[in-house]
Amino acid sequence: MNELIQELKLEIINVLNLEDVTPADINDDAPLFGDGLGLDSIDALELIVLMEKNYGIKLADPAQGREIFKSIRIMAEYIQSNRTK
Amino acid sequence: MDNPILHDSHLAPVIDPDYREYLPPTLSRRSGKLLKRALVVSRSVIEAAGTGCPDAILTGTGFGCVENTEAFLEAMTYEGEACLKPTAFMQSTHNTIGSLIAIDTHCHGYNSTYTHKGTSFECAFMDAYMQITRGQATTALVGGYDELTPHYYSMLSRTGYMGPASGCMGGEAAVSMMLCGNTGNRQPLCRVEGIELHYGSTLDGLGDALQRLTEGAGCTLSSIDAVMTGLNGNAANDAAYRSAARVLFPDTHILMYKHIFGEIRTSAGLAVYASATCLSKGRIPSFLSVGGGSAGSEHGGVQRILLYNHCENRAHSLILLSSC
Repeated sequence: MNELIQELKLEIINVLNLEDVTPADINDDAPLFGDGLGLDSIDALELIVLMEKNYGIKLADPAQGREIFKSIRIMAEYIQSNRTK
Repeated sequence: MDNPILHDSHLAPVIDPDYREYLPPTLSRRSGKLLKRALVVSRSVIEAAGTGCPDAILTGTGFGCVENTEAFLEAMTYEGEACLKPTAFMQSTHNTIGSLIAIDTHCHGYNSTYTHKGTSFECAFMDAYMQITRGQATTALVGGYDELTPHYYSMLSRTGYMGPASGCMGGEAAVSMMLCGNTGNRQPLCRVEGIELHYGSTLDGLGDALQRLTEGAGCTLSSIDAVMTGLNGNAANDAAYRSAARVLFPDTHILMYKHIFGEIRTSAGLAVYASATCLSKGRIPSFLSVGGGSAGSEHGGVQRILLYNHCENRAHSLILLSSC
């Protein structure tokens, strides 16, 4: 799980072009949206594309994303349970 | 314009500042380079002009947001349509630039983008000029924005448009300017006397356009101090300028600017910037001079500069600027 969390952090930094942010700066349990990393709805779309492209997970219901993208740890757990690649 | 950087390669890229000093973090990380450049120069111009929100925003871009277009098309080519990046898609259209400037500056008036190859900037400039002279707007933000990615530079080099084989140095442009109908107490760099666009390959047609321009401005060719041309080292491109100079303005001082800024579709915007700076200072620095007329190491007392640009010797533009 820790390996997946680290991989996910690097991917998110890269895809969202998070300038000056390192994996160590992202708390595993901190919220991704709002107060945490401060991501917004366009970033949510990028994360949906990332999930499908890298892990073969299709999120058909946008409301699902609200739960899955709560934190890096929750996202990694969902990926581990549902990944197809 | 005081200390130009002379390039020893065939590419003169934009020197980017740290955009985080100018833009909010979310905007800085999400926007492509061209958008960041356009936003920063437009904000700076609006602040320097002291006009507040302009009535109109006119944008010229020949290539549009190439970096994002490449990212979007590359994803589509290699990964199919299912996993396209939304940010690259949103920023891949040409009119993203003008739209983003409007959103960022809260200027929600008339907004138009022109994409006409090498005369994209001039079309935007002409629209702004007409908006102001016809009383539709009192202030208009005009800009020319183009970027050159390594891949696109490589492709343009292979076609002979620029690069070592052509003798033409590639460049990038991010230039904004404020056109005002009434300058009030502000100190403008120069006055726009007129603009003419001409499509055709004969010098007769270009000569007619030049006559319309000078007559409209109430001046003669002999009262023009210098002609700012788009000479860029490419033999085919330069032949048209030399031919026009020989026939239409044989006794006028000839200038060039693309050896400093490089060639790009909207480099005519940089010609306006360079000429306006010369008019504001009342002198033409020697590094812009090609020769002809009363060419010297420094050309002082400059009152009028004619800007002549052409694209493939078919689309021509003439802009006449004078000192205030």
